[in-house]
Amino acid sequence: MAQRAGGDDSEFTRRAADGGSAPSRREDARLVRGAGCFVADLLPEDCLEVVFVSSPVAHGEMGAVDVDDARRMPGVAAVWSAADLPAVPQTPPMLGITASAGRAWPALAVDRVRYVGQPVAIVLAADRYVAEDARDAVRLDISPLPVLLDPTDAAGSEVELFLGMPNVAVEKEYGDPIDPAVWRDAAVVVEGNYRQQLLAHTSMEARAILIRPEDDDGLTVWCSHQAPHRLRGDLAAALGLPEERIRVVVPDVGGAFGGKSETYPEYLAVAVAARRLGRTVRWVEDRAEALTGPPHGRGQNQRTRMAADADGRILAYELTIDADVGGYPHLGAFVPLNTSVMAAGAYQIPRVHVQTRCVVTNTAPTSPYRGAGRPEAATAIERTVDTLARRLGMDPAKLRQRNFIRPDALPYRTPTGFQYDSGDYPAALALAMRTVDYDGWRAQQAQRRRTGTGAPLGIGICSYLERSGNAWEFGSVEACPDGTYLALSGCCSTGQGHETSFPQVVASVLGVEPELIRLVEADTAIVPRGIGSYSSRSMQTGGAALHRAAGALMEQARGRAAESWAVPIEEVTYRAGTVSAGQRRVSLADLAAATGPLRADEVFEPPQAAPYGTYIAVVEVEPELGTVSVLRLVAVDDYGVVINHVIVRGQSYGSIAQGLGQALYEQVRYDPDGVPETRSLLDYLIPTLSEVPPVTLREMCTPNPNTALGAKGAGEAGCIGAPAAVINAVVDALDLDDPSAIQMPLTPFACWQARQPALAGAGR
Amino acid sequence: MRVTLTVNGERRELEVEARRTLADALRENCRLTGTHLACEHGVCGACTVLVDGEAVRSCLMFAVQCDGREVRTVEGLAGADGTPHPLQEAFSAEHALQCGFCTPGFLMLAAGALQEDPSIADDPDRLRELLTSNLCRCTGYESIRRAVTRAAGELAGGAS
Repeated sequence: MAQRAGGDDSEFTRRAADGGSAPSRREDARLVRGAGCFVADLLPEDCLEVVFVSSPVAHGEMGAVDVDDARRMPGVAAVWSAADLPAVPQTPPMLGITASAGRAWPALAVDRVRYVGQPVAIVLAADRYVAEDARDAVRLDISPLPVLLDPTDAAGSEVELFLGMPNVAVEKEYGDPIDPAVWRDAAVVVEGNYRQQLLAHTSMEARAILIRPEDDDGLTVWCSHQAPHRLRGDLAAALGLPEERIRVVVPDVGGAFGGKSETYPEYLAVAVAARRLGRTVRWVEDRAEALTGPPHGRGQNQRTRMAADADGRILAYELTIDADVGGYPHLGAFVPLNTSVMAAGAYQIPRVHVQTRCVVTNTAPTSPYRGAGRPEAATAIERTVDTLARRLGMDPAKLRQRNFIRPDALPYRTPTGFQYDSGDYPAALALAMRTVDYDGWRAQQAQRRRTGTGAPLGIGICSYLERSGNAWEFGSVEACPDGTYLALSGCCSTGQGHETSFPQVVASVLGVEPELIRLVEADTAIVPRGIGSYSSRSMQTGGAALHRAAGALMEQARGRAAESWAVPIEEVTYRAGTVSAGQRRVSLADLAAATGPLRADEVFEPPQAAPYGTYIAVVEVEPELGTVSVLRLVAVDDYGVVINHVIVRGQSYGSIAQGLGQALYEQVRYDPDGVPETRSLLDYLIPTLSEVPPVTLREMCTPNPNTALGAKGAGEAGCIGAPAAVINAVVDALDLDDPSAIQMPLTPFACWQARQPALAGAGR
Repeated sequence: MRVTLTVNGERRELEVEARRTLADALRENCRLTGTHLACEHGVCGACTVLVDGEAVRSCLMFAVQCDGREVRTVEGLAGADGTPHPLQEAFSAEHALQCGFCTPGFLMLAAGALQEDPSIADDPDRLRELLTSNLCRCTGYESIRRAVTRAAGELAGGAS
């Protein structure tokens, strides 16, 4: 019998309930009173509402855009297509992605449309309802062209989505090609074809931006975003403005999950409108628009091949990826890099070769989605390892234990060029097995199979390894004359609780109460530099930068005191907000008041880190209906040093729910003409409370050896570990010989079909 | 059209189009932005408010349908002196929110249900069904379930 949600045996339940050892989040006070401030909650006077006319056609030649009727409607301030603008800004390429060259993504479509939802015209009115009326009065003339929806098909198609340019926008290779003799001579070779379906980020708050033109020809921009400084730079580049004329403020953000670190054409169109009209203008995306995308996440076709000797030692692994980057290559073109460098997971495999192609199609442009290439990597190798175990007749746990990189082999450089830092991968699997009672479930599975009673039961393992962090981050700590401390970070919380956890980091270094520390981030007028929050990097990189800044502040205070007391710095000691030498003693507050600002700025770029862990799922598949019930899910994660356990466990739990969403329910679907079919939350199904099974979380802690703080990063692991664990469990339950026969999401129909291929084939 | 609503105990006379949703009337006309819009088609429940004590999705109701009725939003959940409602305290204590965008909807959903029948929190299946009404993308829900159970205990304790 399946246990439903509400099972309270979880470690999470017990630990979080046992008395609130962690402080309440500072963010909560306003958010539970409805006093948070999201972009749509800013209600400036005389603000115009933006509604976009978007393409209903996935690929087509643009004729004239007839805006006359719309313009004549009372209350409409402006309606413009690209033809009405003297210049149409183009979305700047991100992270130096060369794929964008020659494939520019204009603020409003010019000549061609390449996905349903592409903005074609912008409508402005004081009233949103009126703006939507006017949108509906705009007439489009678009001649349809052939539509390409699958990256592998698009790579081989003669239809050029960008004239004179290949549909394969980027092609890359990691590791050395594997000698054919390895495949020929190996005792066992297994192969698989896996589909990473397109997903919708579905942050509860969709995209939103508000722009106010300023007297100096500059702009103040409020945007629901993950990377305010990047947005400022992109807006400046696209609009031809100096960066200092643009101030970006990110207020409360209602979730992001990778979909809000980009600069989108809509933002540029809103900026153009605000400048042309000299009015404050806002765009608040609705759910139908958000589900249509961009962005979408995932979208990879994967082929794997793995060779092993007769004892199950893996000799070689090959992964080939066709990644869907949608109508315009944007940040989605970065994602396969993550998949590639961590392709071999936690295993010591001597030969690893990855080939990736980023392919333009007529789906909405893709972006990173929580996990961002890592779930794709983990699912590919973990499904393949399970296939190998099956072929060898070995227990999949034993096969993993045989191939893990041993702790004493760390740090370890993979054949695809990524360095793993520290950890104990075998121990994570062992802990997960003990926690879930692996042997007990295997015994029960054997009994059910022997007696033919009970629903098919499966146990699935995913031993994942991820790549966290990216580039540098800014952190600053200042001792204020009033006795408080001001911390600045270039990160940007989108629900992770930085206002609570970052002061904890600073307080731990300074030896003062966290209450004395105030965090400011996400305002480019106050924070001089920064990148933002993604790649599980906030604590791993941003926290580490603040940790160093706090240390530097202590040094600065000692130096300042030594100077004013005319003693050698070695005689000055720091303790809990004061410095002293002999009988002399002064607080940092008084020192700052007496001698001027005490502030330490740090820019820190640690190497990427490698959090890891093992997830084990136990599932039943209802044989008649194909319904999957997850009976147990155990997650063992090593995030390195954890600063706030309550926040991190919350991240784990929520990330697991999203991972289950990918495994079982979620998929962006297009009809053959490229029109999205999943445009409401009745069609695009994200988990509710009833779909979340009993989850047990266990933490291990191997500090990040490359930062003094020791955090490796958290937040994405659930999305990485849960899908592969669930799908391996379902394949195990269904006893499938061809694992490629079933793809995510594991809907009842998919499971039923995989179980009865002959019947399903006849019924279609 | 002219409508009169009582919102969080305060009488509000509004001039609205017949097609204006209650959610927009609350957010834009009354400037009570605690009620959030996340799907605008009645699925996610972020915009849940109480109308005459009953939880409704304010994106699916027109303001004119509420003429003469009592509306309670998240801004009216705390006591008049600012004392947080037990649900508000419990959500924070149990880490039942991360980004906080869906939180007002869950709070009002739970507030309406506990007011109607405090015993709902004693029945895991009924509580699960209730909380399945709304969507959250951050928490995975377990902490929300725990928070509502905790608040129900507080409310029951306070009543006895």
